[in-house]
Parts: sequence; C-alpha cells; structure tokens
Amino acid sequence: MAFPTLLSFLLSLLLSLSPTLSTNSEGNALHALRSRLSDHTNVLQSWDPTLVNPCTWFHVTCDSNNHVIRLDLGNSNISGSLGAELGELKYLQYLELYNNQIGGKIPKELGNLKNLISMDLYGNRFEGKIPMSFAKLKSIRFLRLNNNKLTGSIPRELTTLSNLKVFDVSNNDLCGTIPVDGPFGSFPMESFANNRLNGPELKGLVSYDFGC
Amino acid sequence: MNSEMGTTHMLHLILLFSVLSSVHVVTHGDSSTDSYWLLRIKSLLSDPVGVLENWSPKAKFCTWNGLTCSDDQTHVVGLNLSGSGLSGLIPAEFSHLTSLQTLDLSMNSLAGSVPHELGQLQNLRELLLYSNLLSGNVPPELGLLKKLQVLRIGDNSLTGQVPRDIGGLTELRVLGLAYCQLNGTIPAEIGNLKQLKSLDLQKNSLGGLIPREISGCEELQNFAASNNMLEGEVPASMGNLKSLQILNLANNSLSGSIPMDLGRLFNLKYLNLLGNRLNGEVPVELNQLSQLEKLDLSRNNLSGSINLFATQLTNLQVLVLSDNFLTGNIPSNLCNGNSNLWQLFVARNKLSGKFPLDLLNCSSLQELDLSDNEFEGELPSELDKLENLTDLLLNNNSFSGNLPPEIGNMSHLETLFMFHNMITGEIPVEIGKLQRLTVLYLYDNQMSGSIPVELTNCSSLTEIDFFGNQFSGSIPQTIGKLKNLVFLQLRQNDLSGPIPPSLGYCTKLQKLVLADNKLSGSIPLTFRFLSELFLITLYNNSFSGPLPETLSLLKNLRIINFSHNRFTGSISPLSCSSNLTVLDLTNNTFSGPIPSSLSLSKHLTRLRLAHNFLTETIPPEFGNLTELNFLDLSFNNLTGEVTPDLSNCKKLGHLLLNDNQISGTIPSWLGTLQELGELDLSSNSFHGKAPPEIGNCSRLLKLALHGNNLFGEIPSEIGSLTSLNVLTLHKNNFSGLIPSTIQQCEKLYELRLSENLLTGSIPSELGKLTELQVILDLSKNFLSGEIPFSLGNLMKLERLNLSFNRLHGSVPLSLGTLTSLLMLNLSNNHLQGQIPSTFSRFPLSSFLSNGGLCGPPLAPCLGPEKKPLSNTAAAGVIVAIVFASTLICLGLLYVMLRIWCNWKKVSVLSSDAGHEQRREEEKWVYGEAMGRDFEYWKVNSSQVKQQISTACIFQLKVDTETVDHSF
Repeated sequence: MAFPTLLSFLLSLLLSLSPTLSTNSEGNALHALRSRLSDHTNVLQSWDPTLVNPCTWFHVTCDSNNHVIRLDLGNSNISGSLGAELGELKYLQYLELYNNQIGGKIPKELGNLKNLISMDLYGNRFEGKIPMSFAKLKSIRFLRLNNNKLTGSIPRELTTLSNLKVFDVSNNDLCGTIPVDGPFGSFPMESFANNRLNGPELKGLVSYDFGC
Repeated sequence: MNSEMGTTHMLHLILLFSVLSSVHVVTHGDSSTDSYWLLRIKSLLSDPVGVLENWSPKAKFCTWNGLTCSDDQTHVVGLNLSGSGLSGLIPAEFSHLTSLQTLDLSMNSLAGSVPHELGQLQNLRELLLYSNLLSGNVPPELGLLKKLQVLRIGDNSLTGQVPRDIGGLTELRVLGLAYCQLNGTIPAEIGNLKQLKSLDLQKNSLGGLIPREISGCEELQNFAASNNMLEGEVPASMGNLKSLQILNLANNSLSGSIPMDLGRLFNLKYLNLLGNRLNGEVPVELNQLSQLEKLDLSRNNLSGSINLFATQLTNLQVLVLSDNFLTGNIPSNLCNGNSNLWQLFVARNKLSGKFPLDLLNCSSLQELDLSDNEFEGELPSELDKLENLTDLLLNNNSFSGNLPPEIGNMSHLETLFMFHNMITGEIPVEIGKLQRLTVLYLYDNQMSGSIPVELTNCSSLTEIDFFGNQFSGSIPQTIGKLKNLVFLQLRQNDLSGPIPPSLGYCTKLQKLVLADNKLSGSIPLTFRFLSELFLITLYNNSFSGPLPETLSLLKNLRIINFSHNRFTGSISPLSCSSNLTVLDLTNNTFSGPIPSSLSLSKHLTRLRLAHNFLTETIPPEFGNLTELNFLDLSFNNLTGEVTPDLSNCKKLGHLLLNDNQISGTIPSWLGTLQELGELDLSSNSFHGKAPPEIGNCSRLLKLALHGNNLFGEIPSEIGSLTSLNVLTLHKNNFSGLIPSTIQQCEKLYELRLSENLLTGSIPSELGKLTELQVILDLSKNFLSGEIPFSLGNLMKLERLNLSFNRLHGSVPLSLGTLTSLLMLNLSNNHLQGQIPSTFSRFPLSSFLSNGGLCGPPLAPCLGPEKKPLSNTAAAGVIVAIVFASTLICLGLLYVMLRIWCNWKKVSVLSSDAGHEQRREEEKWVYGEAMGRDFEYWKVNSSQVKQQISTACIFQLKVDTETVDHSF
C-alpha cells in the first residue's frame, strides 16, 4: 500500500510544482491544443509551456498586453482534432487553421471567442454540424468553413452576425436551405456550392432544414 | 639386460603410481560422493568474496560453509549460499546432491538458465533462486520435485510461460515468480496446489484471465499478481479463498465490476485493485471485511457513491479511492469514535456537497486528500477536531468562505493544500501556531487582506505559494524568520511596498517569485546572502533604482525575469552567474553597455533586454552563447555593426535587433542560422543591399527589414522563404522590380513593400499569394503599368494599398470580388475608367487623385467616351431622370420608397455597429493628410441635404438601369 500512497503524493506534488502555470490560461489552452494535434513537421516545437505566456511561441501572435490575438497554423500538415480549450483564447482575432488534416467536430466553445474577426478552418476534415454557438461571434467578419465534411443545416442564428462579410461553406455535406436574412443576403452562391443545400430559404413555405 | 631390468622396474613403478592415484580418486568419490560434487560445483562457480574458501578436501565436508548435513554426516541435505556474491552459471552438478532438501542460492549474481537437471533432486523441499541474473524459461522439470514446498525463483530475467507442470507440486506452500518477464497466462493447474499459502506473480507480463480454478487454492493467504496484463473480470470464485489475507491485483487490465463475493474473504487485511478498468459501484458487501486494514481501489472507472462504513470496517486504516468517477459525498457514517482510519484519499473523483461534517469523527485521520472534486461551501470551523491531521489536501474544489481560524489548533499539520478554490477573506493569524507546517499552498483563491506577520512564526515552512489572490499591504518585515524557506511565490496579488531586507536571511531560498504586484523600492542589499537562489522573477512591479553590485555573488542564478519595472543603471550585476539560462530585463530603464561577461553563461537560451537605454555595440563574445535561442535587444540605443561572432549562435530562433541605431550592412551569415524563425532588423541604420543568403533561412516566419537605408533590388532568393508569414521591407530605398519569385512565399499573410523606389509593374504572380490577409501595401513607389487582374484572387485580403504610384489603366473588375477587403487605397495614380460597383462601400478618398475614375462613390460614369461629369452636372442629370421616372411610374415609386424605408433601417443599424472600425479605416485611408478629411466633408456639405433625398432616388435609378440591362 505504500506504493500507491507514495504515488498519489508524488502526483499531487508534481501538480503543485508547477503552480506558475495555473493562470497562464491562454498558454495552457494552446498547450492542450498541441497535445491533441499530430505535428508531422514539428511546427509546434517552440511551444514551451514553462514560459510565462505563449507570446514568443512561433505561429502565435500577442497584443501588447500579452494576449493571444492570432493563431497561424494554416498549411502546416497537422492532424488531430480541436478541443473545448480553444474557447479560452478570449482575445483571439484570427484563427487560421486552414489546409490541414484536422478532423472531428468543431467545438462549440469556439463560439466564446468574442473578439474573433476571422475563422479559417477551410480545407480540413471537420465533420458534424456548424455549431449554433457561432451566433455569439459578434465580431466575426470572415468565416470560412469550406472544403470539410460538415453536415446538418446552416444554423439560422448566424443571420444575426451583422459584421459577417465572408461566409464560405462550399464543398461540405450541408443540407436544408440557404438563409437569406442579415448578411446572408449578400453572399455569392459560390459560397454554398457543392453541398446538399436546396436553394434559398422560402420562409413560411418549407422549413429551413428541409431535406436534412 | 641391465637396461631391460631398469625399464621394467620403471614400468612397474609407473603402474603402481597410477593405480594408487586412481584408487585414491575412486575411494574419495565412493565414500562421500556429495563432497566430490560439491568441489566440482565450487570449481564451476566464481566466488570473489571467498565464501567457498573452506570447501576443501582437507576438512570434513560437513564443516564447509553453508552446508547442512544429514544426521549421519554422509550427505548434504541443505545448502545455503544466499547473498554470497557468487557468479557464473548454476552448475547442473547440483543434480547429483540427491539428498538435498534445501537449496538456497538467492541474492547472488548467477546467470544463465535454471538447469533442468534440478528436477532430479527428488528430496528437495525448498528451492530458492530469487534475485539473481537468471534467464531462459522456468524448466518444466521442476514439476517433478514432488516434495517441493517452497519455490522462489523471482527477481530474475526469466522469460516464457509459467509451466503447467507446476500444478503437480501438490506440496507447494510458497510460489514466488515475481519480478521476471514471464508471459502467457496463469495456468489453471495452479488450482491443484491445495497447500499453497503464498502466490507471488507481481511484475511480469502475464496476460489472459485469472483462472477461476484459483479457488482451489483453499489455503491461500497471499495472492499478489499486480503489474501484469491480466484481463477479464476478477473471478467471483475468489470469494472461496477463505484464508486470503492479502489480495493485490493492482495495475492490470481487469474489467467488469468488483465481485461482491470478495465480501466473503473474512480474513482479508489488504485489498489492492488500483490501476485497472473496473467499473460499477463499490460493492456494499466489502463492508463485511471486518479484518480489512488497507483498501485501495484507486485509478479505476468506479462510479456511484461510496458505500463503505468504518462502523463495520473497524480495522480499516487506509482507504484510497482516488481517480475514479465516484459521486455523492463521503458517507456520513464512515467513521465512528474509535476508528483507526489514518489515510483517506478520494482525490480526482466527482464527489460533491459540502465538507463532510461526519468526517470530523475520523479523529485518527492523519492524511486527508479530497482534492480535485466538486466539493463546495465553507470549511467547518470544527476542522480542528481532526487534531492528528498532518496532510490536508482540499485543492481543486469550489470551497468558499474563510479559512477557519481554528486551523491554528491543528498542531500536527505539515501540508495544507487549499489552491484552486474560492476561499475569501484573510489568512487567520492563528496560522502562526502551526509549528510543523512545511508546505502552504493557497494559490488561485480570492483571499485578501495583508499577509499576517504571525505567518513568519511558522518556522518549519519550506514552501509558500499565494499566487493569484488579492493580498494587499506589504510583505511581512519579519519574513526572514522563515529560515527553512525554499520556495516563495506571491505572484499576482496587490502587494505594495518594498521587499523586506530580512528576506535576504532566508538563505535556503531557491525560488523567489514576486512578479505581477505593485511592489516598489530597490532590491535589498541582503540579497547577497541568497546563495542558493536559482530563480527570481520580479516582473510587472514598480521596482526602481540600480541593482546592488553584490548580486554578482549569486552564482546559482539560472532564471531571472525583472522585466517591466523601472530599474536603472548597469545590468552587469546580473551577468556573473555562469548558470544563467534565462535573463529577461525587458522594459526597464537600464543604461550603459551590454556586459560581455554575459557570454560566460554558456547555457543561456533566452536573453531579452529590449526597451531599455542600452548603448554601444553587441559584445562579440556573444558568439560563445551557442545555446542561445532568443535574443531580443530591440528598442535600445545600440550602435555599431552586428558582430559576425553571432553567426556561431546556430540555435537562434528569434533575433530581434529592431529600433536601435545599428549600422553596417545586413550580414550574409544570417543565412547560416537554420533555426531562425523571426528576424527583425527594422528601424535601424542598416545600409547596402539585402543579402541573397537570407533566402537560406528556410524556417523564417517573419522577416522585418523596414525602416533602414537598404537599396538595390529585393533579392529574388526571398522566394525560398516558403514558410514566411510576414515580410516588411517598407521605408527603404529598394529599387528595381518586385521579384516574381515572391509568389513562392505562399504562406504570406502580410506584405509591405511601400515607401521604396520600386519600379516596373506589379507582378501578376502576387495573385498567387492567396493567404495574404492583413495587408498588401505597395504604396509610395514608382510602380507603373496596370493593376494585374490576378489580384482579384486574394480572397482573404483585408487591406490593399496601391496609392502613390504610377499605375494606369482601369481597375480590374476582379478586384470587385474581394469581399474581404475592408480598406482600399488606390489614390494618387493614373487610373481611369469605371471602378467595380462593389467599391461603392469605400470612401471617396480611396480613389482620389487619379486620371479619371468613375462610378460610386465617385461620380457616375456616363459612357465610355464621355468625361465624368462634375458634381453639379451629375446632380442635374439625376434630377432630370428622377422627374422623368416619376412621371412614368408614380405608383411604383411609392412602393419603392416603402422598400427603401425598410432598407434604411437596416443600413443605419449596420453602420452604427461598424462605426469604430470605420473611424480606424478613415485614419488609415487618409494617412498623414488628415486635412483632406475635412475637405471631403466640405465638398459635400452643399449636398448634404440633397443627399438624403437623392440617395433613394439614385438607388431607384440604378435599380431601373440594372433591370433594363438584364432584360
């Protein structure tokens, strides 16, 4: 019994030895992300969790208050999946993860990124639905989810995103109809191409998820 | 004849001798064969200690070391050479000692395999070969030793399977095969060992199921099979092992639920199932184990509530249920008055509720770990009823309220983990009574008030961590009383005032973290006594003054971070520890030169001295810092050239020398720094050409050379930087063409080439940089020709500035599809013709001073040949058309107006939302000529009234026009 006792003590000791990390929440979030990703070309090599903040990690950009505002991992040959912890990056403006092999669902917690201007997840293997929580991305201007394996309908809640300038979901497996309200009135049809979408929404005639 | 006689005589003699000697050998072997074989065995073993020294024919063999003889002194019945330092192989000759009952060769360095000949020792009762270097299989022949009672051959490197033949050893009491590399399964035949009392199979690679036949071992008292790869369920039949006292199946892959039959093991004292995949609830039947002293079910997938009661488990001393999915609270009647429970570990479960008050009855408790659960509410003031407690771990819960003052009565307390809770209020002064307290972790709570002076009475304290609270006031003056302090972290609080000089008397201090406070004053001179100190971080405070010279005595310093303070003077006192790995003095007011002695810290990986007033040159000795990864000397007053010795720092990943007065040319050896990811030499006085070798830094992500006096062409080798994200070459004197190779920098998201002397046309290859996002800025050059159509591919581009060039021709329609574009400046060129209709969203200033651009927001184009109309003329035309259309379809107009009113509401809403952003855009578009901003309004002021009314009409016109066209 001495062994497990010792072990649990060692464990708690280990945890306690790194208290300096505990409020580096953005660094922790990114480090948690790293643990989910397979990094075939070592682009995440510089991500040292023992640093006070992640601002000197490559592919991470901070503002003058040391808050992460950019994550640039486009075309980086990474695979794996995303997790809830990305939602901790409260100051993030640019989430650039395009053209990789990232799969799994898009975590709904990404909807917590209130300062996000651009989310580029295109060219990956994301599946599941477009999170309804994206309606909380009040700053978002560019939302590119094209060339994935997304299913389900386009959440109607997204029509409230008044700053949205670009919305591209082409080349997925979405169904239902295309919203027409809010910014969706101005998006070109190419943004919706190659899905199982049934044309523009016909309010009152058929439900928006018709054919899903 | 004589000679003949001689030879025959000689022959006789030889014969006689040979006969005599052979007789001697035979009689020796005959009379005591055992001694013969023992001597043989001796000759085959290596005996460096000399344990076998008295094994000699001169003495009677029964007197030899380690031997036990039969009563008649003729045979050896016992041989004990345990721990004798013997090495070599186990001689097969042991098999000739047929009377042997005990053979103990344990704890030697014997190698090779277990000789199968040992199977011939038919009288053997005990065979002990454990703790040697034996390899190979367990010989099945051991199954022939029918009288064997004790077989212990573990702690070797034995491989292969446990032979089934062992099941034939029906007399066996003890079977020890632990700490080997045995694989395969536990043979079912083990159930035949009716006499077996102890079965030890720990630390092997045994897989498969635990055979249910094990229930046949009716006498079994000790069964240990931990650290194997056993799978399947714990057989319910084990409930029949009535004699079992110790059951250890820890660290296997057992699954299923814990069989309730284990509750019938009334003699069980020790039950360890930790580290398996057991699920389901903890069976209530375990409460019947009245003899149980230690129970460990941690690291499984157990769920449900804890249904264990010390009222029945009267002998329970240790209960470990950590790392499961247990819910509910600690059972209310876990302890009665006279329980013996002294260790209770339930960390990392999903337990909830308030601090279990009934736990306070467990007065014998010494170690209590409730950490990483969902407990909440205040801590009971009667906590001190746990008067024997030495370790109290309540971290990572949601406990709230104050730390009860009664905690001061827990005089045995050594470890107090309260971190990651929601504890408020002050630290009770009573804490000062805890003379044995060594570790006090209160970090990540919401505690406030000042740190009580009484805390410094806790003279055993070695570690204090108050990080992330709201403690205010100053650090207690008497902190120096904590002579045993090794680790002090007060980071992220509201502490003010100076560091008490007495802190320098905590001479065992190794880590001192005072960062993120409002501390001020200078570093006390007493810090020279902190010779053990290896980490000191004071960043984000208001410390000032020069560093004490005596800091140079601290030779163990490894990590220093004094950034964001107001320290002055020289940094040389911090350059004397040759152990430095990290030195960060960013954003202070240090002055003077960078000390070359820093180069003595051979392990330095990060050196950050940015935002100071450092002068003179980068010391050439820095070439010795071969481990250096991060060198940031930006925003200083450094002069001179970049020392070529820096080319030795091959691990440099970040080289930031921007915003200094560094001169000379940009060194070509930068191309040899293969790890370089960030190179910022901007805002210096570099001149000359950009070296083409820079193209060898293939990992470069950011290259900033702007704000220098660089001239010549932009090297085409820039195209080799295929990882590059940011390239800023603006504000130089670069001339010639924009190299088309830049198209290979496919990951560029920011490209600034503005304010140079670039000529030629914009290469259409720029259209391949489809990740361009932040900006493409080519303004203020001498670029000519037309805007390439391909720029319309830059679908992510948010800012495009081509202003102040000599571009002519029309604006390609493709640019109109750049939906991401937020800011556009095409002004001050020779562009003409209609701009894409989508550009109406940009301000007028985006297009000013061109040859003849038209279309909204500019004046409308009237036709390909006609000159654009003046504003007044345009207004006249509009009015005319309005009247005409009004006459034609008055009713239609009414409908349109209704639609417009709805549209206006929407547009007002969206323009409000984008207000702040628009202001930023305007600033950017108008650049330095802010005056034009007002001009713009002046020009239009006469039309402001009209605008409101015409806007709708204009819209109408366009609508009708497009309708016409589409027909």
